[in-house]
Amino acid sequence: MNTEERDLLDEALRRATSEHSGAALDAALARLGWHDALATEPRTAVSLLFEQQGRAATTSSALDDVLVAGLGIDDARGAAVLVARADLCEPPGKGGEPVIVDGLGTARILEAEYTLVLGRAEDRVFAATVRSGELVRRPVDGMDPWLGLVEVTGAASAVSPARSVDVGMWRRAEAWARVAVGHEILGASSAMLELARRHAVERVQFGRPIAAFQAVRHRLAETLVALESARALLDVAWVDAAPDAAALAKAVAGRSGRTAIRHCQQVLAGMGFTIEHPFHRYVRRVLVLDEMFGSARALTAALGREVLASRQLPPALAL
Amino acid sequence: MELDEFRAALDRWLDDQTSALAPEDGSGTLDEHMTQLAKVKRLTFDAGFMRYGWPERVGGLGGSALLRAYLGEALAARDLVEPGIYSITETLAPTMIDYAPPSLAADMVPRLLRGDETWCQGFSEPGTGSNLAALVCRATRDGDRWRVTGQKVWTSLAQYAQRCVLLTRSGAPDSGHRGITALFVDMDSDGVEVRPIDTMHGPPEFCEVFFDDVAVPVERTLGAEGQGWQVAMDLLPFERSTALWHRAAHLQRRLQDLLDVVPVGALEPAEVGETILQLAAFRARSRATVHRMARGERLGPETSVDKVLVAQADQAVFDLVAAALPAELLLGDDLAGARWRTEFLFSRAATIYGGTAEIQRNVIARRLLDLGTDG
Repeated sequence: MNTEERDLLDEALRRATSEHSGAALDAALARLGWHDALATEPRTAVSLLFEQQGRAATTSSALDDVLVAGLGIDDARGAAVLVARADLCEPPGKGGEPVIVDGLGTARILEAEYTLVLGRAEDRVFAATVRSGELVRRPVDGMDPWLGLVEVTGAASAVSPARSVDVGMWRRAEAWARVAVGHEILGASSAMLELARRHAVERVQFGRPIAAFQAVRHRLAETLVALESARALLDVAWVDAAPDAAALAKAVAGRSGRTAIRHCQQVLAGMGFTIEHPFHRYVRRVLVLDEMFGSARALTAALGREVLASRQLPPALAL
Repeated sequence: MELDEFRAALDRWLDDQTSALAPEDGSGTLDEHMTQLAKVKRLTFDAGFMRYGWPERVGGLGGSALLRAYLGEALAARDLVEPGIYSITETLAPTMIDYAPPSLAADMVPRLLRGDETWCQGFSEPGTGSNLAALVCRATRDGDRWRVTGQKVWTSLAQYAQRCVLLTRSGAPDSGHRGITALFVDMDSDGVEVRPIDTMHGPPEFCEVFFDDVAVPVERTLGAEGQGWQVAMDLLPFERSTALWHRAAHLQRRLQDLLDVVPVGALEPAEVGETILQLAAFRARSRATVHRMARGERLGPETSVDKVLVAQADQAVFDLVAAALPAELLLGDDLAGARWRTEFLFSRAATIYGGTAEIQRNVIARRLLDLGTDG
């Protein structure tokens, strides 16, 4: 994809994500050829869509497609994907027994006929296809009712024997999902910064825009620095050979999102605290996204534990 | 030469030359660091590596700036040079290449690259720290010479330097950034006096420099009269690209050194993870900036983000050292303890030198976020 094609896709995604959400956005993505882009240029497709989706605070079930593409399981295209919340002791549904399910899915799981359940057992990863209708599906309101998450529990029988997933492919899928969610956090955080920036320039107190006060300026500058560091790591996550690159990027994105919430909320003050103002949508979105595929807190501690145990830093990013 | 080829050749050569490149006595003094720097520069120049990334007209062998970015990285990662004193090359050679008369650049730059000479950068003054454009060190035209009178401060390595890239006030006192002229001054000129400043971290690498009616030939003017502000601003992209990338390599090395000796249980996983993330974020940002510079893009106020990140990463690394090795840091009188202490204390200045953390945030607010003027 050359720069012009990339810009065209970005603009089409900007329009789609700002005009549609949920199933309508899924349909719009299919119409504009996003899935083809995902198949040929995952980096461009993932980074552009999720950043725009974050910016617009809309939602889709594209994360399921990212996981399937990352796993390279071609015959699962279009299925809902469920990543089991905890490690399993037994491979799911290996001998035809029911697959016990506990996880969070996108809204696709309410509509799709089949769900691909991914579970880890010891060091192996398994995938089992089940009928979505057999699962107990609870649409989650929670902190962010607009995100369309679905809590899934219960048991369902596998429609075919569970298959073993190559661990390298699982890591790739997880890395892509982390980068996708990282970009969504970045998009949402950029939107918060823009809301706060505009407010600071327009809001007059003591006879001047509050943007004239250094305390306000420095909070917004701090936010931009946080977002730029997340962007730098998300950009290299695709080229960095280090296996943890996506986890690092997701951790910094989550932390940056929380930094954006803290500073932008303070600058927006009372205005940003009302329900009419869009700010709260972004706060809710970022808080939930940070928890998906490893929170900043969890990933940071895991990285620290690993490094303390091995006494080896992750390989340094090469020039 | 391409980066991959350069990297492989340099790594091989550095492996072969391990003993030739090693510091002589390991005393850790500034004198030793300067001797070591000169030696490493001479050996890398004579082997050709130091000449890549610089134009042929100043003794270079051409090629992308990525090559010299990698050279400094490799030297810092192997703990062969301290990147702070090495960075003078990265910042002052481009200034000479862009602004000195061509014959002067051709004569002088190879001396800097080969480590035959040390140069210094006379910018800050007692009355102008963050507000550089208010400098007052006076340059008056006297026929075919400038006569310079004034004082500089925080001039790194001036006591070792043969030359100084000096910013002077050539216009009216209130001429601001328009009335500044950059000069290339021989430090052995009559009327130049250097006094090292004792600082809390130990090595006296900063100096006061006094100029008392010092004569500087007009052909030593860098750029045109009154163009000094542009000279100073054009130096910034180099200070914020390759030089910071080298700093990242140094911090990575010292963090690994810490991991090699940290007592079990001395650190919380979360604080270790946090420091690694800060360093990784800075390194990723710096890498993008170095690549932009090497592609010929014009670097501007966005490099203030790099500066904020390097300062945070620097302090995070040495905060971690302080948490992990309190006895060494506070009580250690051996070389290792003294080095951790010096570096910890120097890291406190990371948010001060090269434009304070507050100045960087002001630049970000005004130039990147378009928040208008403050106050």
